[in-house]
Amino acid sequence: MAFEFEHSAKNPLHPVSYLKMLAMHSRLEIVWTGQQEISAQDLAQKIHESMLSMEREFNRFSEKSPLSVVNLKASREEVCIGEDLFMALELCEAFRRGTRGYFDVATSTSCGRDMVSYTLNPKSHSVRFTAAEVNLDLGGFAKGFALERLRTLFTEQGVERALMNFGSSSILALGSHPYGEWWAVGVDHTKQHGIVAHEVHLRDGAMSVSGRNYKGEYHIVNPHTGASVAGEDLILVEGRSALVCEVLSTALYAAPKSERGAILSQYEGYHAKQIACGECGSVEIHEIG
Amino acid sequence: MNRKEFLSDCGKIGFAGVTLSLFPWLQSCSEKAKQEVQGEKARIGIIGTGSRGCFHIKHLVQMPNVEVVALCDNYRPHLEDAAQYYPQAKLYDDYRCLLEQRDVEGVIIATPLYLHASMTLDALSAGKRVFCEKSMGYTLDECLDVYNKRKETNGVLFIGQQRLFDPKYIKAMSMIHEGKIGEVVGVRNYWYRNNNWRRDVPSPELERHINWRLYSEYSRGLMTELACHQLQNGSWALGMLPEKVMGSGSLVHWNKVDERDVYDCVTAIFTYPNGVNMTFESIISNKHFGMGEQILGTNGTIDLVTGMYYSDEPAPKGSGMHQLVAQIESGVMSNSVFAGTSWAAESSPLAPGMPIMPNVKVVTGESTVGAEADGSKELLEAFIHATITGRQPEKVLEESYYATQFALLADKAMHQNQILTLDEKYKIPYQPLK
Repeated sequence: MAFEFEHSAKNPLHPVSYLKMLAMHSRLEIVWTGQQEISAQDLAQKIHESMLSMEREFNRFSEKSPLSVVNLKASREEVCIGEDLFMALELCEAFRRGTRGYFDVATSTSCGRDMVSYTLNPKSHSVRFTAAEVNLDLGGFAKGFALERLRTLFTEQGVERALMNFGSSSILALGSHPYGEWWAVGVDHTKQHGIVAHEVHLRDGAMSVSGRNYKGEYHIVNPHTGASVAGEDLILVEGRSALVCEVLSTALYAAPKSERGAILSQYEGYHAKQIACGECGSVEIHEIG
Repeated sequence: MNRKEFLSDCGKIGFAGVTLSLFPWLQSCSEKAKQEVQGEKARIGIIGTGSRGCFHIKHLVQMPNVEVVALCDNYRPHLEDAAQYYPQAKLYDDYRCLLEQRDVEGVIIATPLYLHASMTLDALSAGKRVFCEKSMGYTLDECLDVYNKRKETNGVLFIGQQRLFDPKYIKAMSMIHEGKIGEVVGVRNYWYRNNNWRRDVPSPELERHINWRLYSEYSRGLMTELACHQLQNGSWALGMLPEKVMGSGSLVHWNKVDERDVYDCVTAIFTYPNGVNMTFESIISNKHFGMGEQILGTNGTIDLVTGMYYSDEPAPKGSGMHQLVAQIESGVMSNSVFAGTSWAAESSPLAPGMPIMPNVKVVTGESTVGAEADGSKELLEAFIHATITGRQPEKVLEESYYATQFALLADKAMHQNQILTLDEKYKIPYQPLK
């Protein structure tokens, strides 16, 4: 996993750095300002290492990853896991409960509604599945988790302005654009490519978008039914944490309209919209909650 | 971003000198210039307190170094409206009496077009600094007389061409002169409204007095009231003056409703020595296209009204994220279309256009009085500075002079149904900005 790095000091007021890399089957891009080239290069290296570490931990397609080992063995025995994966699974379970079960990293299982798919043992730092055929997929969680980790890394390095885009669907902003009061992010119209369906202004905040993927596939599954959710509209969530935004956008997309407001109301400071894109470029936006 | 921040930022990234040499009249807007007049007051008289006069008053009341000491209008309701802002000001119904008031240092003339030249000449003769609304005069000769009088008296004269002080126009023209859009190959201006352009008339005998814009006895209509603003764009962008002018005008709608005799539909073409055309089109019975001013270059287009740049080059590879780098390098902010439901490989959408500077203030051109954040306030501030210092900024009058002359020439071309050139006698010793 390599990365592309560029640095420009053409604008001496705001030297700007750019990083692009593939991680967790997505593209991570970051633009940040205020660092000279050597410091920025050093930070880029740290980002790369951090993403490599997460990839090693959470990639279920790699046979050697701890997550793959858990998927392989945890239905039969307790599997000891590292700090990061343990914390991630703790958070995932908390979010499952906090979203009425519409966010669940163990969706491809035979577990019934409201059933706990795994238990965590803090003493032994281990995980054990509660049933056979449980399979954990952190794909809907890892981008937000990674962005929060990057927020910490950037803050430690003293970077005050950055925009991070993980897979187009998860965005995190530090500070604002150097020539504006926010970072402006356009949500792409689903039917008319290149048209902005809705513009989001991020300042020290995050957003996440859920819907059909770029191939048009309904890739989000309703954990309660195991069926793909055939929603045409986008769900956009804005708030402080990229992780919470990602979890909520997935959960709200999967949840029926009647339950969305109640789920969102449990997350103070988070706002969600349902964005309907028409064939002729029209857009209808409804606040959720 | 206001002009002060813009200039400050320009300075920090190293092209303040270039900007000010291109736009020398902005010198009076610098911090140094403001310090120069700190604590001093310009004593101002306002001649014409109708809608535009009151628009200026609303800006003047915000300026600490202005004292309005005299007001004049021969229509009493307008005078009384203005007097509410300045109860201490002396009131007149004859501008010549106002000009005799000795403590009036500068006058702002916001009267019907046919009065601009005579009032400006009288005011300059009386030793007043003068700000006169555009257009500069009702005829080509009047404009020349006014220009020469200013020269003869070495006075201060500003014409109300506020685009010269609008930050987005200044930024756009800087980019054009730096070659950002390539070679300039066309200039398009248009102004569409759908309203009758009338003011309420309390009594029929006041019709022509109040609705003077609609009658050719007092105004040249769309060319002097609207086109005049936009025609400076071509000279500004191309660094030359038009060689010939043609046009067509007619009354297509509003003459069915009232007795007006100025055109409500005009199209004019101005051809420059290098063959480039500038167009102006205005219809006031359809507003779909609104107001537009576009400079077309071989590499891209700048829309002056919206402050957007549209590249003719293919969109760069990579996402909008990567385009952010270029924006920050250039000191601008733009929306970047990149959020969606998932990563769409390298199929980044075409850039929909890029703002040329942050927080561009866009005006629609629908207001028949004036719009906020269009440079009007800054223009007035520059005039106040000049009133206090007695210094005429370079080139600001010459830009305004030619804007009016070519508006009048186009109007003449329409009425005579001819292709016209500006007579040598009207050419003043001035080279457009390059």
